[in-house]
Parts: sequence; structure tokens; C-alpha cells
Amino acid sequence: MGNLRSLVVKEIKELIRDPKILLGVVLMPLIMYPLMGSAMNISQQSMMRAMASASFAVYNEDEGAVVDSFLEYIYANNTVHTIEAGSLEDAIMAFQDTNASTLLYVREGYSDNVTQGFKAYLKLYANLKSLSIVETESPNAVSGLINLYSYYLSINKIEGYITESGGAAEPDAIRNPIRTTSASIIKGNVLEVAPSAIFSIVMNQSITLPMMTMLTLVFAIQMAATSIALEKEEKTLETLMTLPVSRMTILSGKLAGSIVVSIFGAIASMVGFGYYMNSAFAFAPEMTSMATDGFSLGLKPFGLALVGINIFITLISALALAICLSVFSDSVRGAQSLTGILFIPIFIPAMILMFSDIKMLPTTMQWILLAIPYTHSILASKAAFLGDYSAAIGSIAYITAFTVVVLYIAARIFSTERILTSRFTLDRIRNLFRRR
Amino acid sequence: MDNAIEVEALVKHFGSVEALRGTTFSVNDREIFGLIGPNGAGKTTTLRILSTLISPTVGYAKVFGVDVVKEPVKIREMISYLPEEAGAYQNLSGHEYLEFMAEFYDNGERSTADMLEEGKYISGLEERLNDRVKDYSKGMKRRLLLARALMMKPRLAILDEPTSGLDVVHAVHVRQTIRDYVDKQGVTTLISSHNMLEVEYLCNRVALIDEGVIIAVGTPSELMDRFSAENLEEVFMEATKLG
Repeated sequence: MGNLRSLVVKEIKELIRDPKILLGVVLMPLIMYPLMGSAMNISQQSMMRAMASASFAVYNEDEGAVVDSFLEYIYANNTVHTIEAGSLEDAIMAFQDTNASTLLYVREGYSDNVTQGFKAYLKLYANLKSLSIVETESPNAVSGLINLYSYYLSINKIEGYITESGGAAEPDAIRNPIRTTSASIIKGNVLEVAPSAIFSIVMNQSITLPMMTMLTLVFAIQMAATSIALEKEEKTLETLMTLPVSRMTILSGKLAGSIVVSIFGAIASMVGFGYYMNSAFAFAPEMTSMATDGFSLGLKPFGLALVGINIFITLISALALAICLSVFSDSVRGAQSLTGILFIPIFIPAMILMFSDIKMLPTTMQWILLAIPYTHSILASKAAFLGDYSAAIGSIAYITAFTVVVLYIAARIFSTERILTSRFTLDRIRNLFRRR
Repeated sequence: MDNAIEVEALVKHFGSVEALRGTTFSVNDREIFGLIGPNGAGKTTTLRILSTLISPTVGYAKVFGVDVVKEPVKIREMISYLPEEAGAYQNLSGHEYLEFMAEFYDNGERSTADMLEEGKYISGLEERLNDRVKDYSKGMKRRLLLARALMMKPRLAILDEPTSGLDVVHAVHVRQTIRDYVDKQGVTTLISSHNMLEVEYLCNRVALIDEGVIIAVGTPSELMDRFSAENLEEVFMEATKLG
């Protein structure tokens, strides 16, 4: 145990003190995410301020009586420039000289159409001076005002017709005769909640967790690859291999050191990302909580334990695989390129399963995905979340079997001279093809 | 009494390359034995086999009667190996590096602290041991690595080109340290070098190796007499002509 402790401490010191790793894995997430969040927050707030203070212009060609009540509504609580012009062309020219970003054009005949029960036409012109979000969103703000006015105008008219006909209907029911509500059924329990709301919670707990796992895996793979490659690059591996300690202890030291540093990286990412989410979306309203009428949707202690085991085993297998691959390179850069291959089987299942269920995919695709061990990492988390513990355990068993195989291969590589003599260079690949 | 090292008909293939072609020699206990030859002669391959890093294709090697292939862990407890291009962990201080290495040999007979003291003395780096290894010159690194190899008083020290690439000042320091320390502690030492003068200065006996085969063994003076040469360089040239 003493030897293992020495190896782990050495690994951690070597990795943490490497400025590239310290900066890239621990400090960057702690600095970058909050900076990005603050930048987004600042830009969102300035956009909202600009939106709130956005002014618009009105050019009115109608001289009827009804248009006055509409314009009165528009002018109330808004900064409105009135354009006086002889034609629409002149009005557009004059509009461009103002600081308003939208021109509302009221055509002649508006009052007549509204009075006679025909559609009245308005037109919005957006002046895109800098193509900013404020400019492109400005017409939407005016549209929102017009839609609200339009709704109450129609309700008012319907009320009039109902009174004229002597009926007793609701004006809103005539305007929107059908209304749909949604509920969800999970494991036989009916929840009066829309599936989209369920999805947002599943996204939060079942997808975010695997995504953070993937992030930790990426860090861990980089750590393990760097750890082995550094030994080769700095010519310390030969000395290490002649120490009176078993090769399995050396391998375990490398795995444990990489896990500890990658957990630092993952925590730094989570803290940084949490800060990013809080500051970047500080303007957004809080998500409403979901009433589940006693039916709990989420991870119970056993499910949480399964997710923890799943993440740990996945981490070990990815590290062992990274170590196996990095043995074939002499440099840190080469090892990181080689282990980059591992990101494909990690990210592709994550991306596919984030947006669809595996059972919805074509059969061949299902089998391909199921053969990839890291698919099971996500399936196990989802199953644990939904309380399907047997499926979660099945997936964990598959990853465990794969991990045992990879660890065996890593141990074999460590116990033979392959760790010193294996090389995988571009020249070797070229020679391989030449021979064929 | 067994020989400290017994190497018998070693053959080593790396793919189609035959690095050793029946290397045979033995080293007595407490002697400094030199393995000399040009680049690619098979010196490092022999040392790596004795250090349990690689296995021979054919033949065997024993250290104090223990077979390097059958009982590698036992061998590693008795030896310390200084590879030619060895490095130290860049982000550790010299002190931390020596402490890390000493901990593996702390078996009750000698404590980590004792070995560390020895290491500090052998390296002669004094206050610089508190600096990170990445700030060391090549010579300082080699002194640190030599201290690492000798501080635990191994039964067999295997030193591959101990002064390769060093300037005169550091090379003299390293040679002096090896000679003083090995004499004082009675450590059997196997040194490989292509620097014939260094070998002549340090070694009790010498083996000349060329193309994976030992072509002559003896004390430096015996070899010079046998080949009517004035130094080991001339010995080597004569021996390879005969070979």
C-alpha cells in the first residue's frame, strides 16, 4: 500500500504541477465558464435594456375614426415617432433618419375594413443598421402589441355579434373553439404534466449526468495518456519499471492518479459550468416545479448508487483503454492524438441517445450501439433514473466485463517489454500498406 | 560462491534485427565490470535484459544466482539501473524525486531518511535539490540520477553510459563519485561505455562487445598486453580485426 500511495502522490504532483494540465483541466473551466457566463449576461442585459428602450415610428395614411383608438393604444407607454410624409417612400426616408428601429405603416382603408368586418392590413419595416438582435427582434415587440390589440378587438366584435343574435356563447370559445391539454404516463402512473416538461427534468438529471460523465472521461483519458507518454518522453519509464514494485501496482498508481486529477477537472468544470448557467441565464424566469402527486420522478438512493458504480467502472475502462493506446506513442502529443480515437465511441452514443430512445433506432444501429460499451454507460444512467434497476445492472455488467478485459490487456502490456518496445508511428502504418 | 552476474549465450531479436548473437560473460562480486563497444554493439540490450526490462530470445542471465526471467521482482530488489538517456520527473524537486525513489527500498534495514541523506551527499547538489528538476542542467540531472541509483546501496549497480553527453566538469564528478562510492560500499557495478578511457579509469575487468558478441574479456592491462596495445581503444581496434 505504501508503494501505491507513493506512486499516486507522485502522479498527482506531476500532473497538477504541469502548467498545461493545471491550466487546461482545472483553471480554464473555473475561469472560462464564468467569463463566458458573465459575457452572455452582460450582452443579454444590454440587449434587454435596448429592447425596453427601443422606439418605433408610425406612418399613418388612414383618416378614419377607428384608427385613432388603435394609435392611442400604440402611443400609450411607448416611445413613438410620428412620421409626417406625403408618400410611403418619403416616410421610409424620414424613418431612416430617426433612431427608431421599426416603422409601423397604417394603410389607407384601415378604419373602413375594421368597421365593415374585413381584414385590416398593417406593415412593419425593420431598419437593420447593425444587424443586431435588438434590431431584428424589434418588429416582434411591435407585433406583440398589435396581436394583443387584435385579440381584444376580435373578442369585442364577437361579443357584439352574440348580443345582436341574442345567444349566450363565450366570445373566447368562438375565437378558439378547441383547447388541448397534455398528461404523461410513466410506469403506469398518470401525471398531469406535459411530456415536454418531463423531458426537461429527464434532460436535467438523466442526460446531464452522463454528459458530465463524458466530460470526466475526456479529462481522464487525457490524464492517463499524458501520464504514460510523459514517462516515455521524459525517459523515466525505464527507471520506474526497474523499481522493486509489481507492475500491477504501477498500473494502479497511474489509474488512481489520473482519476484523482480528472475528478478535480470534472469538479472544476461543474463549478464553472454551474456559475456559467447561473450568470448566463440569470435573466430567465425560474423553471416551475412539477407536481407529481406523490409519484417521485428521479434518482432514489439505490439508483444513485448504481449511477455512481456505473460512472466509476466506465472511468476505469476508459483510463485502462487510454493507457493501452498511449503505450504505442513516444510523445504526449502522439498519445493524445491516439487516444482521441476513444472520443468517437464515447460521444457518438451520447449524442444519439440524448435525443432518441435506443428502441426507436433501426435494428442494425441498435446492435452497433449496444456493442459499444460506453452506450451502456448512458443506458444504465437512464434506466437507474426510471427505476428499471435490472436493465441498469445488465448494462453495468456489460461495462464491467469490458473493463476487466481492457484491464487484463493493460496489465499484460505492463508486465511485458511491450510497454518499452511498442511503437505506432506513421512510418509503420505506411510500411503496413506497402507490404500489402 | 556464485558470480554476481552470469550471462550465457544470450540472443535477442527485435523483429528482423539480431541485437545479441550469443553474448556470454560473468562478473565477480564487488568488482567494477566494463562492457565496451561501439554504438549498436548490444551493450544497452544486455543491460536491459539484466535489469528485467526485456527478455532474451534465447539464453539466460542470472544475478547473484537468480534468473532474470523467472524471478524479475527478486532481481529488482537487488539492482539499480541507470539508463543512458534517463530523465527525472520534471515537476518534482530533486529532493522529492530522491524521496519518491527511496520509499520503494525502505524495507526496515535502511530508512527512507537514511537513503535520502546518502542521496543528497552523492549528488552534491545541496540547496539546488529544492529546485524543480526542470530547472536543472544536463549535468545536474545526471548527478541526481546517479545519486538515485547508488543511494539505496544496491547489490548490483547497472550504469549505462554514465557520463554520456556531459561536460568535463560533470563527467569527472560522476566518475569520481562512482569510483569512491563503489569502493567504499563494495557494490558490484556493471558499466557500459564507448568511452575507452573512462572504462580504463573505472573498471577492474572489461568485456569488449561487437555486433552482439563478446570478443575479449580481461583486466585492462591484460587486454593491452594480449593485443600489444597502448590503450583500450587500440585493443578494441585490434580485437575487431581478429574477430
